[in-house]
Amino acid sequence: MIELQGVGLRYGDGPEILKDVNFRLAQGDMRFLTGPSGAGKSSLLRLLFLALKPSRGHIALFDQDTSVLGRQDISPLRRRIGVVFQDFRLLNHLSTFDNVALPLRVMGQRVDSYRQDVLDLLEWVGLKEQAHAFPEVLSGGEKQRAAIARAVIAKPEILLADEPTGNVDPVLAKRLLHLFLELNRLGTTVFLATHDEALIKQARKPVFRLEAGQLRAA
Amino acid sequence: MMNSAMQKLGQIIPSEAAPLRNLIVTMTIMCYLACLAIGALVLINRAVDGWTRGLSREVTVQVRQIQKLDMEAELQKAITLLQATSGVIVAEVLPREAGLKLLEPWLGNTNLEELPIPRLIRVTIDENHQPDFVMLDKNLKNTIQGASLDTHRRWEVELTRMAHTLSLLSYVILALICASAIAMVIFAARSVLDANREVVDVLHLVGAKDGYIARQIDRRFMISGLTAGVIGIALSLFTFLGLGLSGNVENNSVAAASYSLLFAPTGAGYWSYSALLVVPIVATGIALLSARLTLMRMLKSTA
Repeated sequence: MIELQGVGLRYGDGPEILKDVNFRLAQGDMRFLTGPSGAGKSSLLRLLFLALKPSRGHIALFDQDTSVLGRQDISPLRRRIGVVFQDFRLLNHLSTFDNVALPLRVMGQRVDSYRQDVLDLLEWVGLKEQAHAFPEVLSGGEKQRAAIARAVIAKPEILLADEPTGNVDPVLAKRLLHLFLELNRLGTTVFLATHDEALIKQARKPVFRLEAGQLRAA
Repeated sequence: MMNSAMQKLGQIIPSEAAPLRNLIVTMTIMCYLACLAIGALVLINRAVDGWTRGLSREVTVQVRQIQKLDMEAELQKAITLLQATSGVIVAEVLPREAGLKLLEPWLGNTNLEELPIPRLIRVTIDENHQPDFVMLDKNLKNTIQGASLDTHRRWEVELTRMAHTLSLLSYVILALICASAIAMVIFAARSVLDANREVVDVLHLVGAKDGYIARQIDRRFMISGLTAGVIGIALSLFTFLGLGLSGNVENNSVAAASYSLLFAPTGAGYWSYSALLVVPIVATGIALLSARLTLMRMLKSTA
């Protein structure tokens, strides 16, 4: 499902951020990615949701070599991947409901077909009362939950998350972990970048450690 | 209550982040100018049609006064010859006063009676079976001394050439207006996309295709083009009406031309309005297509 071979990444003429990264995740796998700040975790995730191209090496997603993908092939692949961004990337002019429903909307689904699903998910992440609120009035934790809800609403085959519990209290972090575990149990491949050691311990899933651009199993 | 709040989805690209007011104002001016140019084009075409139809229906025979010759007898000979010519419907001698009237603007009206002015014969011809003008001219010259045939061809050619030049000028103006409108839409589309770069990035990351993103924006351009076209045509109609009612519509003034543009007989009137209606259609098309092509090209260059 995800395969990296000898992947290296550098920005412009700068030093290599990622060096010879090799790993493979099969369907239904779940991995944590940890490491110190600046180690390249976010860059690795950006490679996986096709926002960056590697300087060298090969990345395959859903058994497709991403280096040969045309522009028109990228959108269908991204629709199969849910992403939780560290900075949430919610659209401030849309309500929480509209932000969460965005992936379904761009797929061309009608609001009648997904309204209840979105409201149910918002209730599950504790945001039903904020469904009509705009991101500017949401707290950091609420924004994070909205971002997670947006990432999972379309039932993606791969879920990538960058510090998904960084702004929530331990109780909610545990609740969100259960959501990720449940998605994984249903077949979604989950790849979470986090500093939260407690979360990693609770999940009891394999961990990759990224240090100085090099990846190794923890 | 919550469900009803979700009935209306928010705009994916916020309209307040993509103001097109300036585009509507400038395109309205362009559409207004285009309507004026089309109005001029319609009037030119209509005038040319009238001139050429009138000129091709009539020719004139001129008989110069020659000493010791009986003018009335010469005129009668000319009439007999003309009436015997195939393709001539009517030949009538114009009274001497008609010739004098034609000279008045140049010579004034004193002592004209004493001048040996030529006499004119108006000849109405069958448009579909025109006589052989070369042969007719030859026969007239052989039979009547001092006679010559004026087919008005020289005037027709001059008038038609002038009208074609004016028509061409109108088309060039229309082309320049279209080019300016396209350039304005391209600049506006770029501005809108630049102003919404973050939104576009998020849309791409959640799997939106370029076409989907472009559609969220180009619809607004289409509506702007239509709005500008409709306002432009309305303003031009008010202008033609104002000009038409501001002067004497009986003489050949701008007022008469404007009046005839709006209140021409049914067929010609429909043609005027149809030509003007092209403006909002073309404005809408230009706005939609230029915006769509620009957006697609710019989106292809983004991540």
